[in-house]
Amino acid sequence: MSTSEPDKLMIKADKMTKLTLTRWNADWRGATDLYEQAAVAYRRANDYEKAKIAFEKASKGQEMLSSPWDAAKHMESAASLAKDLKKWNEVADFYRRASELYNECSRAQPASDALMKGARALEETAPEEAIKLYTDACVLLEEDGKEQMAFDLYRAATSLYIKLEKYNDAASFLLRLGLAADKCNATNSQCKAYLGAIIVYLYAHDIEQAEKCYNDCAEINAFQGSDQNRCAVKLLTAYSEADVEEIKRVAQSSTITHLDHAIIKLARKLPTGDVTARNEASKEQEEPLDENDLT
Amino acid sequence: MTVIDILFRVDEICKKYDKYDIEKQREQNAYGDDLFARLYGTFESEIDSAFEKSERAAFEQNRAVSAALNAEIRRTKARLSAELPKLQKLAHKKVKGLSKDDLVARGDLVLALQERIESIPDGTSGGAKQSAGGWSTSTPSNNHIKFDSSDGNFDAGYFQQSEESSAFRREYEMRRMKQDEGLDVISEGLEQLKDLAHDMNEELDRQVPLMDEMEMKVDRATSELKNTNVRLKETLFKVRSTRNFLIDIILLCIILGIASYLYNAKAARVLSLALVTEDNARLGLLYSQMVLSSTVFPFRHGCGMYQASYYPL
Repeated sequence: MSTSEPDKLMIKADKMTKLTLTRWNADWRGATDLYEQAAVAYRRANDYEKAKIAFEKASKGQEMLSSPWDAAKHMESAASLAKDLKKWNEVADFYRRASELYNECSRAQPASDALMKGARALEETAPEEAIKLYTDACVLLEEDGKEQMAFDLYRAATSLYIKLEKYNDAASFLLRLGLAADKCNATNSQCKAYLGAIIVYLYAHDIEQAEKCYNDCAEINAFQGSDQNRCAVKLLTAYSEADVEEIKRVAQSSTITHLDHAIIKLARKLPTGDVTARNEASKEQEEPLDENDLT
Repeated sequence: MTVIDILFRVDEICKKYDKYDIEKQREQNAYGDDLFARLYGTFESEIDSAFEKSERAAFEQNRAVSAALNAEIRRTKARLSAELPKLQKLAHKKVKGLSKDDLVARGDLVLALQERIESIPDGTSGGAKQSAGGWSTSTPSNNHIKFDSSDGNFDAGYFQQSEESSAFRREYEMRRMKQDEGLDVISEGLEQLKDLAHDMNEELDRQVPLMDEMEMKVDRATSELKNTNVRLKETLFKVRSTRNFLIDIILLCIILGIASYLYNAKAARVLSLALVTEDNARLGLLYSQMVLSSTVFPFRHGCGMYQASYYPL
């Protein structure tokens, strides 16, 4: 057949694993070694397709040898090669499999790292898949009690949502970030997350939602005494007074400059749409509200 | 009755009814030892004079005179306000002849006095309202820092305008604006620092559990390494000592072999020389030496030597 070294190794390894009349037990140990060597050799020779297959088989071998850590590592290598080959569905599958294997070793951090790498690889081409991966990664970390690490993931997912212009989802993710920050007493991140959510709603020109969001967040003690709270108040009052200059001025203020990049971009573009209609609409709403308050 | 008599009589009557003359009594300080009452009396008189001055100032046409009067009134007000606490302290002191109700009443009097002092018109009450409106829009976290009560209330008639004074005021306002700008810059920088500090704080909090895990793992690795090192040392020690022994024996044999080779070569030459000259003593010596060497050295050498020795014979 072929004369190259890794091909020979592959053939030998395949023979070792196939069960025939003469061979009753597959020799996985030897086979795995050969697969690993073949994979490295293929990678050096820039033959990514075969290297990927070799890594897959090596990973399966490690699984048989009941060492999920090594299996997961091989899976990750296979996945990165698949990324180079631009086979996106395989990328997602491989990273998910790697994450499962890491979970078997009960190591949540590498599991979520694997999912994060997968999501980052898929951001351009399959954003929905990427978001699913981000969400799963966040869930993994939260179950393990390591919410601190989840902040970056939440931020990445939020920026992806904003790119996809799914503002409600982005805002809800920011609120989840706030919740995670609350659990670890990271008040600064929490307040920044809430302010970010309000800005996202305002950018989507959904002012009622923004106000509702603000009312929800205002009940939280950590948010009440913070700079971000004051900034949010200024912004919302500027909106209700339809004062475009004021909105622009608040958007340039330093509190907003300390937020995430994607959100700063949104804030600079405020106000979107027509702001003046707010006054009349709010006045109409006030009367029914007053009646409700009295009763 | 003469006029003198009438005068004397009137005097007597006046003296008799003097105690009903309030103003006179006040002038004579009829309250005597009561410090509070004395001070209170002075306060009252000052307030009255201040009111008179303010009335005069209201009607005064000359701006400068009215300004001067207003300034005086203000100074008096400030002085009285400063001395009011003293009066309050005295009000609480017990004086003989006074009931408890009177003490309480004195406290109330002091408070009423304070209000009266502040109500004296001094020409700035109108201006104060204007500036207060401007200050109320500042953020709630600011404290109003006032240096004196007339700060910022620059009525048109307050100063006598002259070239120098208006230039001076302009310069003052320019400097104030520059200071404000500088303070703005500082506050922005501080905000950035604060945000950075917050982020650093959170990052450090995030790293703490990671460091703990690392410490645990590194401790475990260190102890395992120490263990391995000790065992390795022991093994090496054993191996090395046996080897040393063998090396020593081998080297010793090699050295003896070389020495015997050289020695034999030298002995053979000397023996032949001795036989030619028939030197018996030397021969005997050489013989004995050869015997000694032959007993020590291996058989092969010995054979060689005997052959060498018998040949010349």
